Amino acid sequence: MTGRRRLAIACVALAQLACGGREAESGRTVITISSSVVGTDGPLLRRQLDRFMQVNPGIEVRLHRVSDDATQRHQLFVQWLNARAGDPDVLELDVVWTSEFAAAGWLLPLEDPSIDRAAFFPGTLRACLWAGDLYALPWYADVGLLYRRTDLVPKEPASLDELATFAQRGIASGAVPFGIAWMGARYEGLVTVFLEYLGGFGGQIMDDSMNVRVDAPEAVRALTFMRDQITRWKVAPDDVLTWHEEETRFAFQNGRAVFMRNWPYAYTAMADPAQSRVAGKYAVSPMPAAPGGRPTAALGGAQLAINRWTEHPAAAFALVQFITAPEQQLERAVAIGEFPTLRAVYDEPSLRAALAIPADDARRAVESATPRPVTPLYTQLSEILQIELHRALAGQITPEAALTAAAQKMNAAVARTGLREYMFGRPVTSAR
Amino acid sequence: MSARADPRLTQDRRLAFAFVTPAVSVIALIAIFPLLWTLWNSLHLQDLRMPWLGHPFIGLDNYAELARDPRFWSSLGHTLFFTVVTVSLELVLGLIIALAMNSTFRGRGFARATSLLPWAIPTVVAALLWRFMFDSQAGIANALLVAIGVLERPMVWFIEATTAWIPVILSDVWKTTPFVAILLLAGLQNIDRTLYEAAEVDGASAWWRLWHITIPLLKPTIFVALIFRTLDAFRVFDLLYALTGGGPGTATEPIALYTHTIILQHLRFGYGSALSVVVFVITFGLALIYIRGLGLRLSGEER
Amino acid sequence: MTARAERPWLRTLIVVALLIPIAFPLYWALVASLTSEAALFSDPSIWPADPILSHYRALFANRDFWTPVRNSLVVAGVTTVFCVAVGSLAAYALARLEFRGKALILGFILAVSMFPQISIVSPLYLLLRGMRLINTYPGLIMPYMTFAMPLTVWLLVGYFRQLPKDLEEAALVDGASRLVAFVKIIIPLAMPGLATTAILTFIYCWNEFLFALSFTLGPERQTVPVAIALFRGEYQVPWGEILAASVVATAPVAAIVLIFQRRIVQGLTSGAVKG
Repeated sequence: MTGRRRLAIACVALAQLACGGREAESGRTVITISSSVVGTDGPLLRRQLDRFMQVNPGIEVRLHRVSDDATQRHQLFVQWLNARAGDPDVLELDVVWTSEFAAAGWLLPLEDPSIDRAAFFPGTLRACLWAGDLYALPWYADVGLLYRRTDLVPKEPASLDELATFAQRGIASGAVPFGIAWMGARYEGLVTVFLEYLGGFGGQIMDDSMNVRVDAPEAVRALTFMRDQITRWKVAPDDVLTWHEEETRFAFQNGRAVFMRNWPYAYTAMADPAQSRVAGKYAVSPMPAAPGGRPTAALGGAQLAINRWTEHPAAAFALVQFITAPEQQLERAVAIGEFPTLRAVYDEPSLRAALAIPADDARRAVESATPRPVTPLYTQLSEILQIELHRALAGQITPEAALTAAAQKMNAAVARTGLREYMFGRPVTSAR
Repeated sequence: MSARADPRLTQDRRLAFAFVTPAVSVIALIAIFPLLWTLWNSLHLQDLRMPWLGHPFIGLDNYAELARDPRFWSSLGHTLFFTVVTVSLELVLGLIIALAMNSTFRGRGFARATSLLPWAIPTVVAALLWRFMFDSQAGIANALLVAIGVLERPMVWFIEATTAWIPVILSDVWKTTPFVAILLLAGLQNIDRTLYEAAEVDGASAWWRLWHITIPLLKPTIFVALIFRTLDAFRVFDLLYALTGGGPGTATEPIALYTHTIILQHLRFGYGSALSVVVFVITFGLALIYIRGLGLRLSGEER
Repeated sequence: MTARAERPWLRTLIVVALLIPIAFPLYWALVASLTSEAALFSDPSIWPADPILSHYRALFANRDFWTPVRNSLVVAGVTTVFCVAVGSLAAYALARLEFRGKALILGFILAVSMFPQISIVSPLYLLLRGMRLINTYPGLIMPYMTFAMPLTVWLLVGYFRQLPKDLEEAALVDGASRLVAFVKIIIPLAMPGLATTAILTFIYCWNEFLFALSFTLGPERQTVPVAIALFRGEYQVPWGEILAASVVATAPVAAIVLIFQRRIVQGLTSGAVKG
């Protein structure tokens, strides 16, 4: 009989262990925020969280550190949210994930009247919307920029033709081995590079009716232009097909290229003369366009969303609002150079002094930035596109054939998932 | 006798019912019911990332997709390859160890305990130990092979399919051969000694005794070990998850790992259920053979 | 008994030669876990030349490896206790009582013990998610019974069959009921068998990976194998800590095996060899 009693005790202990949630001893509401905290991000975010807790003494915020690798982070979030875990309450999402998670029913819609949608740049906000509802608030923005060597190029190229010409001239002068460096490895970065040339020639990945348009003549011209850089004009080395952000930056930073396509972070990263051979010798501008197209910068960055299964939606919302508020965005921009998503912040004098590139240029870049297609299928579509783009750039297949195949497979994926019918065919109901 | 036994039998039956019910209902609830659910789900579309698609009945569509899915076929191929290679190696090596240990000698208990250790440790741990030993920089395998001149320079084992299989197979053989050996050893000890003595008197060689006495009499045990190992190898998951992650690419991905990825990473519960059913059907086919083989002897023993 | 008593030497030599490859990886893990990472990558020594404990310290101080150890102990312990308690009743009935459908139930239990775990992962996941039991102890204990319950029943049926019938028969003749006979006579007699079964069940639960990986979400509920498999470093694999953790994960089962090896062998082989 003692055995039975022991079993009973074990069961009680077990129940306590199993249900002992995350309540703080002090009785405060505990919420968690998951974020990748690399380098200077960490101390900054902790400082802001401490301030939030001072303002809201009833809430305790814990930082839930997650992997810096975007693919791993995505996988982890999918696992947590699908399991209906309430932790973490607040999630840092990459711009291309929000519609996927919202459509799956994993995020809480943000319906608070205090949210002023117009205060954000339209592009950054659009990536937070799904079926007309807002599911996240933009936190910071990343935009594709064209870096150029001011000692080798007289002015910012006004057109794509001029970009190619300047690059060729740079090589001919013997000053650099490469004309232009960009990320051409088979990963998400390649899609952002392609998106910019595509816009520059007047094309788009997907139209408003969810038809994939990467087989249009403009798209073929854009991909041919990228391919020509490698094979015809030989201004981009074959190596770009294995490059991500950092390899690209190193090539430019070591003085080996006239131009580079990269994100804003590179500006500060290359400023130290001890490590950078180009310190003080570079400037940025938007990617130029071809006749008939428009200058396009891919939009990246992060948003903050609330877990559908949170037990403390009000506290979580307060935190999201606090971190995305102008003061915190300004502090972040000043501290680590990331672009704010609120228009008004660009008028702050301290931002003008602190941002690595002129605030007006930064604002212009974010304003004209193009988001990647906002669709729950984005990850799958992008994977198809990456494979075909890479095959064409590696010369295994012509740009026409690659893009035709990509469009076909991407449209098939859209059709298979019934998303178009869901979006347009019948009245939109709640995803749940 | 029957008149007196009857009330006792009724009482026995009642008690048996009370005793058996909890265990059987637990098993039915957490094993049989989910299995039927898997079967049901495999006939439906269920993609948890796309709730707008609902949960419609789609007949055998998932199975049709499976038949066209190259990753399914290659993972099935990897599983069969792994099963055949490891099980044959384990049986041969296990028999050698069992024969060597089939006598009394000093330190026999210690030898038996040592050989049980690989069986007892978590498979994930075993996999990681072998990954460490085959690490390109710190691995002792490279150090050894370079020292004896087989390799000129350290090798990166896990970036090519052919070389990645080597640590996979070695680690499984290492981990499970002792188990096979212990099963076979128990079988050996059931063999009547006098048979050997008689053969020895007749002047039969050791080799002859092995082939004409040991192996035929050991056949039932070998058969049991074979089926046990086959079923286990066919379900392989932990080892490859921790050792190669199915890589490079998906070159060593077994079917259980592919199914797990489809279900818990892609959240395609319908399609994943179809994969699960295929794994189950194959395993159960093998298990039926086992139950039949064992069932015969079960009833034999009861008499 | 001794088939080749004339050359015990040779046999010992063969056995030692066979044991070396079996034991070496474990030995090497132990040595390497006591070696600094710098030495591991430059000039590893087969002997513990300059043993350090920093990997173990890092394991428990930085990674809080106690949490997975505690999780494993709770999950494996509760599953074992429950399965042996419930399973011994069923096993007794199946071994000693006459009733219809006995062979069917035995076959059923054996069949379930051969289930590939992967084939019930998706419904168990949905079930546990619906009950909000993902990432909880009950959410692991329940799935663990799918393999632990058939195992305990199967092993215990074997043990109960081997027990002598006389004492029980005598008690029954004296007018004791089956229930009393079971509690007063069978249970004490079967104690060694129950212990062996518990040991084996515990080892299987301690080592389980697929369910623990699928039904936990974070370090707070991960078991030892899952925690080790998901160890990550910033830039490279933290081999020192992985090996230290491996030694920690291995130590309890190794101790059990060394102490109870005779019983474990009996348990393992009775199911397979003696039917």
